[in-house]
Amino acid sequence: MEDLMKDLAQAKPPTPEVDPQRMESDLARIITLPRERPARKQFVRRFAPLVVIAAVIVLAVVLMPAPPQPVQPAAPPKWWHALTRQWSLMIVGDPADPYAVSFDHRTERWVAANQQIAVIQKDGEVTPFSLDRGTEWEAAGKPEAVPQVGGDHLVRIGPMKPAVQKTAVSGFQMSLHSNARFDSLDSLPADPRELGKALETIIGKDAYRIGSLAMELMSANVRDDQRRAAFELLKTLDGARFLGDVTVLDERRGTGVAIAAPSTFQFTGVETQLVADPETGLPILKRDVITTPQHGLPAGTAISQEQYLLLEQVDFEPILPQDVPVNGEVESPIIER
Amino acid sequence: MEDFSAVYRECYPRVLAYAASHAGSRLAEDITSETFTIAWRKLDRMPSNALPWLIGIARNLVREARRQTTHYELADLPADDAFAVIELRAALASLSESDQEVLTLIAWHGLGAAEAAQVLGCTTATFFVRLHRARRRLQAALSSANFDRARESWKTS
Repeated sequence: MEDLMKDLAQAKPPTPEVDPQRMESDLARIITLPRERPARKQFVRRFAPLVVIAAVIVLAVVLMPAPPQPVQPAAPPKWWHALTRQWSLMIVGDPADPYAVSFDHRTERWVAANQQIAVIQKDGEVTPFSLDRGTEWEAAGKPEAVPQVGGDHLVRIGPMKPAVQKTAVSGFQMSLHSNARFDSLDSLPADPRELGKALETIIGKDAYRIGSLAMELMSANVRDDQRRAAFELLKTLDGARFLGDVTVLDERRGTGVAIAAPSTFQFTGVETQLVADPETGLPILKRDVITTPQHGLPAGTAISQEQYLLLEQVDFEPILPQDVPVNGEVESPIIER
Repeated sequence: MEDFSAVYRECYPRVLAYAASHAGSRLAEDITSETFTIAWRKLDRMPSNALPWLIGIARNLVREARRQTTHYELADLPADDAFAVIELRAALASLSESDQEVLTLIAWHGLGAAEAAQVLGCTTATFFVRLHRARRRLQAALSSANFDRARESWKTS
């Protein structure tokens, strides 16, 4: 009988090859979908007896002397993989009767100690965004490119073209701060005050710059204690506001902090909010919010946000879109007039 | 989320293989994608050993796909397989769907008895009984008169 099962195993149909691109693009799509809300009470009621039994078993196992385990050194992961979704608003059209466009795209970054690969404008699209539920873009004849309000450029409506950027760097380069580069992230202090001093020596005594660098570090390949220190540092910055427990996106819960942000070319009175998972310290969402009504948008409206979809160590090589040249021209949706 | 992506990458090839062997390669990627979409929605229910749970989801989707179509694509089988392999697959195909499932979960998809029982929603003891009977029926199918005749015809053709 055993032989029969072995023979049957030999008769297994060929296993299909995994298409890594399809696999990763499906993953990126799936994790943006809403999740079911856990039925906590029902769960607790149903599984409470099992939890008690498990606790007894765990206690028994813990109290038993453990046999010596052979130590197997784990191979260090090669890449820090970050997949984020960026969304932002830009005011366009006639300054007397403006409307907005939204930019929605993903960025995938693979960071190692000596190189960085980024896929930008992934699954990107620029779409008209009505400020008052009107149809301003349609009324303007659905132009392919619309003028920025308060700027010199046009914004092209439609899909964005992805680009792959590969750079060889020495140390860990921070994308938002060109002069911030760390030989080792591991040596960064895990004490909020010491971390603040370390960041200050790199980018100066500017609360917003220190804050935004701390936020960037939270999404980098640092330890959990360093991540928590960065969050604590944010809370102590001048003008910072602790938001407490907040629910964002598809009912994800986190702890938030807000710091005052400089004005953009279209918005004033902006604050940057960061919501992180209280257990891991990993960021969930970063967004810029206007604190006063502007361009027909009420106070508290997000004008840009970055959703952290994946932040993980991986030991496989970056999966890049095959039809996009590495370090080719970046076709920005913001073009000359 | 980190946990989900780790489980996703670890289990994807095996869920894909399951889907391909039961619904054909054309539908396999879509079924696998849908399996993980459902898993993501029900993430709070995902057990630590996720594979049997995922294959259970894929199994339901395969059944649904079969209901929606009058004929479903079988796995792409290479024509140059050994005679014994062809014979064994034919004997397997002559069994009931439930017998095939019991046997292939173990022999093709590498699940343990407890995991396979979880996929089928029965106890491990019940699974062992079903496995024992399915094996017997497969053995009987292989040594039946029909197969003997078929064997002869293949040899002479």
